[in-house]
Amino acid sequence: MLVEQIVNGVVLGSMYALIAQGYTLVFGVLDKLNFAHGEVFMLGGFICLASIALGASLPIAILVTAIVSGLLGLLVEFVGFRKFRSADAHITAALSSFAIGLVIIDLSQKVWGAEPVALTLPGTLQTATISIAGLKMVVLRLAILAISLLLMLVLYLVVVKTSLGRRIRAVAESPTKAALFGINVTRVNQQVFFIASAMAALAGLALAVRTGYASTDVGFTFGLKALAIMAIGGMGDIRGALIGGLLIGVLEALAFQWGLGQLADVFVWLFMIAILLVRPAGLFGTLVSKEVRA
Amino acid sequence: MDEVSQSILAVEGLSKSFRGLTALESISLEVIHGEILGLMGPNGAGKSVFVNVVTGFYRPDTGTINFGGRDITHLPSYALARLGIARTYQNIRLLRRMTVLENVLVATKDHVEQPFRSVLARNQSSFVTTALALLEQFHLADKRDWLAGALAYGEARRLEIARALAGKPSLLFLDEPAAGMNEQETEELAGTIRSSHQMVEAIVIIEHDVAMMRELADRLVVMDSGRKIAEGRPNDVLAQPNVIEAYLGTDGPDD
Repeated sequence: MLVEQIVNGVVLGSMYALIAQGYTLVFGVLDKLNFAHGEVFMLGGFICLASIALGASLPIAILVTAIVSGLLGLLVEFVGFRKFRSADAHITAALSSFAIGLVIIDLSQKVWGAEPVALTLPGTLQTATISIAGLKMVVLRLAILAISLLLMLVLYLVVVKTSLGRRIRAVAESPTKAALFGINVTRVNQQVFFIASAMAALAGLALAVRTGYASTDVGFTFGLKALAIMAIGGMGDIRGALIGGLLIGVLEALAFQWGLGQLADVFVWLFMIAILLVRPAGLFGTLVSKEVRA
Repeated sequence: MDEVSQSILAVEGLSKSFRGLTALESISLEVIHGEILGLMGPNGAGKSVFVNVVTGFYRPDTGTINFGGRDITHLPSYALARLGIARTYQNIRLLRRMTVLENVLVATKDHVEQPFRSVLARNQSSFVTTALALLEQFHLADKRDWLAGALAYGEARRLEIARALAGKPSLLFLDEPAAGMNEQETEELAGTIRSSHQMVEAIVIIEHDVAMMRELADRLVVMDSGRKIAEGRPNDVLAQPNVIEAYLGTDGPDD
């Protein structure tokens, strides 16, 4: 039972981590928090649901979700951040992205209602189980875990190994210097928003498929936790977002295992406070501002 | 007409003021294909403002900038970098948290257009080979994996020039490349600049070091109070009374 719960926690944590990657990527290049991010995650479940309702197969629905949410990310960048690039515009950008998030929730509720909407896939994908070493596991959860880890590995390799990654890191260090290296900073910001939003929406899709319904209120709860996870991991550090996500997922699963499920959220926030008291910059962070770096 | 076809950069009537203070007053000058042009003048003469306007960091109030036959007056700096105008800075601006090699790779021109190309190892190797050759030329190859922030001052200066050349520019601006260097380092730097000259069509150097300018520059332009006060061969220009006065009239360079 304990091992099963821990595995479930890791699966949940991998979804948290997918969302947190997006927060941390955007924070890395812009030094700003994207408060619309949680709602893009939420919308992932609904985009999948709508695609399937229109007759798409699951692979097509996954593709559509990634692309549509990526484009939505471009819109968020344009509306919420393009004009608020200066360091003094933190609050404005936070407010405008928060407002975009509220608009997304409101429109979603107008279209799909405030109650969760069932998302049932044909076949046994959502229920099939497999026995590994005497443990009964839901195949779907393992698939979600594998795909999430794969996505994060790919992201990591892109950031560390490719020229796109070098440009992202250059902008993260200093947009001004990046521009004089010939980098189109706006383009890099757009690329980051596309990637971050697509990953978050895929996490939202995974959640909806796993639980069997899409719901308009998950953006807030998951989004807020993913923010905490980013802080735990270290602002702007994608490794930190992964480790933080897995830690929080397991912590929640353990809370349920010990019969303290009601207090799971409290544990998360206490854990964040404890980590930040010991390491104010998070597990991997350094708390160096762009100005000092430059 | 001949002159027009020879010039790589033509600046016409460039003016710029900041809150009513005139920094550039109707500057016109040309950079000729194949030359090293020296830009001199006492502190506050407007040299750096001039470079900042030409490289797109400030918008000029009036005037036009023509580069390779194209009006570039209103283009942003990253676009100018791609068109082939590169520059270095008085205060070194490297990506300190990235490696020496990455600093050159980021600035590599072909790279910019193709985000995922380097995923393919075969294509990546040609970028890396080019970048390494550049580092070799600037005596930095053995430090390719160092973080740029860990380099010594002279090395960082060299990397800054290598980085500027990585974009295969046709025009290179060097803003006080010898600032903070001792005599021997300055001497070495002059050699580096001369070898860089073969890789670009023209170089514009802003420098206080008269000896270096005499040695390197084919032509000198002297500025004072935002205006061009002299232009010509280094020895002629440096002998002009108004140039001597402009320099002696101040406390001398100190930045």
